[in-house]
Amino acid sequence: MNLVAGLDFSILPQQLVNGLLLGSIYALIALGYTMVYGVLRLINFAHGEVFMLGSYAALFTSWLLGFSPEAVRGVDRPSTWVNLVVMLLVSMIVCGLIGVLIEFLAYRPMRNQPRIASLITAIGVSLFIQYAGGLFLPQSPPPAISEQVNPYRNEKVSIVLKPAGQEIVAQAADATKKAAIAEKAYDDAQKAGAPADKVEQLRNDAQIASNDASRLQTQVSSQTSGLVIPYGQLGMLITTMVLMAVLWFVVQKTKTGRAMRAVAHDFDSAALMGVNVGRIITITFMIGSALAGAGAMMYATVLRTPLSPFLGVQPGVKAFVAAVLGGIGNIPGAVLGGILMGIVETLVVWLDGLVPGLSGYKDAVAFVVLIAVLLFRPGGLLGSSKVEKV
Amino acid sequence: MSTTGEKPVVLSLEGATIQFGGLIAVNNATFELQQGDLFGLIGPNGAGKTTCFNLITGVYKPTSGTIRFQGKEIGGLTPAKIAQMGICRTFQNIRLFPALSVVENVVVGAFLRHRTTLGSAFAYLPSSIRETSALKKEAMDLLEVMDLADVAQARSADLPYGKQRRLEIARAMATRPDLILLDEPAAGMNPQEKEDLQVTVRRIRDDFQKTVLLIEHDMRFVMGLCERIFVLDHGEEIAQGPPEKIRNDPKVIEAYLGEAV
Amino acid sequence: MKFWLVRLASLLLAVGFAFGLESVVGHQFPSIYRLVVLAGLYITLSVSLNLINGITGQFSIGHAAFYMVGAYSAGFVSKALFSHQPLVPQLWMIVMALFGACCAALTGLVVGLPSLRLRGDYLAIVTLGFGEILRIVTQNIGAIGGAYGMNVKPFGSPPQALWLVWLLAILCVAVCRNLLKTAHGLPFLSVREDEVASAAMGVKVPKTKVTAFVVGSAFAGAAGALLAHAETFISPDTFKMDVSFIILTMVVLGGTGSITGSVISAIALFAIPEWLRNLQDPVTKDPIQIPGPALVASIISVVIAVALFKAVQNRFHGSKPAKFGLYLAAIAAGFVCKLAFTPILAQAPGLAAKSFEASALRMVIFAATLIILMLIRPQGIFAHHEFSWSWVAKLFRRAPKEATA
Ligand SMILES: Nc1ncnc2c1ncn2[C@@H]1O[C@H](COP(=O)(O)OP(=O)(O)OP(=O)(O)O)[C@@H](O)[C@H]1O
Ligand SMILES: [Mg+2]
Repeated sequence: MNLVAGLDFSILPQQLVNGLLLGSIYALIALGYTMVYGVLRLINFAHGEVFMLGSYAALFTSWLLGFSPEAVRGVDRPSTWVNLVVMLLVSMIVCGLIGVLIEFLAYRPMRNQPRIASLITAIGVSLFIQYAGGLFLPQSPPPAISEQVNPYRNEKVSIVLKPAGQEIVAQAADATKKAAIAEKAYDDAQKAGAPADKVEQLRNDAQIASNDASRLQTQVSSQTSGLVIPYGQLGMLITTMVLMAVLWFVVQKTKTGRAMRAVAHDFDSAALMGVNVGRIITITFMIGSALAGAGAMMYATVLRTPLSPFLGVQPGVKAFVAAVLGGIGNIPGAVLGGILMGIVETLVVWLDGLVPGLSGYKDAVAFVVLIAVLLFRPGGLLGSSKVEKV
Repeated sequence: MSTTGEKPVVLSLEGATIQFGGLIAVNNATFELQQGDLFGLIGPNGAGKTTCFNLITGVYKPTSGTIRFQGKEIGGLTPAKIAQMGICRTFQNIRLFPALSVVENVVVGAFLRHRTTLGSAFAYLPSSIRETSALKKEAMDLLEVMDLADVAQARSADLPYGKQRRLEIARAMATRPDLILLDEPAAGMNPQEKEDLQVTVRRIRDDFQKTVLLIEHDMRFVMGLCERIFVLDHGEEIAQGPPEKIRNDPKVIEAYLGEAV
Repeated sequence: MKFWLVRLASLLLAVGFAFGLESVVGHQFPSIYRLVVLAGLYITLSVSLNLINGITGQFSIGHAAFYMVGAYSAGFVSKALFSHQPLVPQLWMIVMALFGACCAALTGLVVGLPSLRLRGDYLAIVTLGFGEILRIVTQNIGAIGGAYGMNVKPFGSPPQALWLVWLLAILCVAVCRNLLKTAHGLPFLSVREDEVASAAMGVKVPKTKVTAFVVGSAFAGAAGALLAHAETFISPDTFKMDVSFIILTMVVLGGTGSITGSVISAIALFAIPEWLRNLQDPVTKDPIQIPGPALVASIISVVIAVALFKAVQNRFHGSKPAKFGLYLAAIAAGFVCKLAFTPILAQAPGLAAKSFEASALRMVIFAATLIILMLIRPQGIFAHHEFSWSWVAKLFRRAPKEATA
């Protein structure tokens, strides 16, 4: 094994990819937090719950598409990527609608009230959805979206960064060949009815040869550093990037996006200048929630997370931390913060090899990073800390 | 005090400069205030007047230059420390404590002279009760002077604009400063209110023996009130002296007309 | 002289009240003993958070962290020192409450320091983060039980902690009230209102903020220490983020800055879920079952009733009695909706067969109450008002006048 001070560097690239995947989910959720904060200065605590509902929406869609546990039991149902796209779209639409509904019912009446009142309402909505979800949503045993939905479940791209030394590869090939011969000899002897002690001898030889071969094979694979990325994960990364590009286009290039930026910059002036603030807020909630829905679908399928009504809490908090880390209200900041958060989290698990027990602190690290960053940049990484003019 | 028969210097700025990024908001400001002065600070919008106040009261630290108050260097001290040394101010965009009552606002100003400990307040000891009523009494007296006694119990945010401005002055006076800085005290007032304010500011100087430094855009107000005036434009001094001199200074006229045209 | 007599009398009254409560609850209603203890702790927690959040305006949402520090520090010392019955348990608990308060105050100092640099939501997330970090660290330390929790059994059986808990609550309320009654409270309030102006008036803003954090967390720590000894078992799960949120909710729902409000809403918010938890059929003693259609119908009609109520509140500008009548009508409309929807929903195949235990609904009802109260009265139940006898007197004086008019 390639160990330096207890660290396994051969899995590092793989861990970074995992971190990127997790981080892109955080980024998708963080975008919702940041956009809503941008226009309303409200920490939408219910956002994590929208995410949770999105994952259930994906689950139910997969059941409707014929991948319910009863339907797929023992049958290898073929799936196509269309199923995944349908699930993604349904999740996004359902979440978008839920987000708008929450805004309309709970936040809109609080528009002119103190901010803390809206915040408490948000906490209330979050608790309500969690526990009402506990009543109505399937949770025990925790349902997971069937592996079968994923048409690419066995297909992987592998990228070899540094192959193992030729010598050892040759040795391994040699050993494998020898093992095969020994095996054959043992088989033949058995069939031919050779004396028992002879068969026993051959059997031992075959055993030793095969042990040798497998030991060398392990060495080869541990010396090869590289990545194996399932197609599903690749698709997820691409989807995330496409969604972010679309968001960027909407915010920067469309009229609605300009209105959104205007509202984020100065709510009251934007209203006075004839921006339909109510509509912009609705759209903001819709887009933010839809992005969370996309994240939720991928969280449940690609990362294979079992669902529960409390599923949204942890990613929700981490995404919120990510949004603050990047500078809350700042869209590129949310993406940067989310990805950073995901990578840091997986790296901490990886560093467990160096400091045993470190992975227990995986959930705390997000906050440590946040506090450290905020103490030096009180406005977050990309945010500007506004100096109050006197 | 001084041998030349001149009054002692209260505040002196020597080359005070501050830079925000590329913008030099105040450049090399140099002037002196003597005890009992009624000193005006004028200049077009964005000239750096408020920034000057912020330098004196410790909101910003000067990039270079020195600011002395009663002979002690105060550049870079915290605002609270400077207030305790005896400089207090009002703000251009009124900054009262909106949810507090008028009299409470003034007590906050008077509070810097408190003697009892926080512990005695937690325990509600007689000493802290006595002190509280003494400070309240002081505050009421000041409100009487500023003609605000009738609204003492109102929420300060509910006062009309002119009264809010006067309340800010009362609050600043409550700290018993030696030097009081007024940032556009007459802004938004009608002519009658402005006249009353002139009387009040004079009283502050004459009856309460304060030194006053004030920023004001209303030329009639400044010229009629101040004995010496300092003119800033783009952060730089363009003139300094008594009102008559300022009135006829070509540079001042240019700065103001140049802005108006 | 008279002052000290009054002071002595009120002290005696407080102690007498605490002992009275102890003996009444202990002897007459032992089944709710634990609940009364917890209610007292929540009063302390919400009032002490109010000092930080409502009075000083520092948006702290990680109060459970201080509670936890108090609980674990005191619990650990007790556990380490005694394997069984030590000296007078009550006295020892007072010592431990002080110890817990000191440890929590130190934590409060550390958590308060960022408040010098950060404002508003950034401060909020940092306090929340500190809380989570502390909880996760606790989870990972084997010596204090890790994720499984810690048994604190210095006295064999749980001691009589109720009177101490309530005495602490009274102390906390008294300290905050005294602060607001004297001039010393004003810098705290002025920092909340405007930091720049406060500093210009000579208020030491950093010191004030940190003091609020230290005092507030000290009370939370003392509460934690008492919790550890009263419950004899604590685990990191007792101090989750939700607990911080609930304490924050108590403060806001009561009216930010109002001590009376914090007390009342602490009791109410704590009592609602507990009452629902124990709800059972009076005859059969089974937990009450609520059929699915009725539940969903109730949720829908509550939404309708609240929407109507809100509409009346905002749009109607008539006389008071008429408005009151419309409020009642809105609530009545809700009831009608529920009656109308229940049979309709009973047609839905999946729903009709389902039923839910009342106790399973308690968090849902809790959350709904919270949302509804905030929608109807965003400034909190008491807004920024305080309870005072003159206020009560005014209520009574006004009532008959209106009756005659
Ligand atoms: N904190 C700051 N950061 C950056 N620039 C600042 C800051 N404070 C002031 N300025 C700039 O310094 C310049 C001077 O501002 P200042 O408020 O002192 O003007 P003023 O003379 O008081 O004008 P007015 O008459 O409009 O009040 C302005 O251009 C302003 O934008
Ligand atoms: Mg100005």
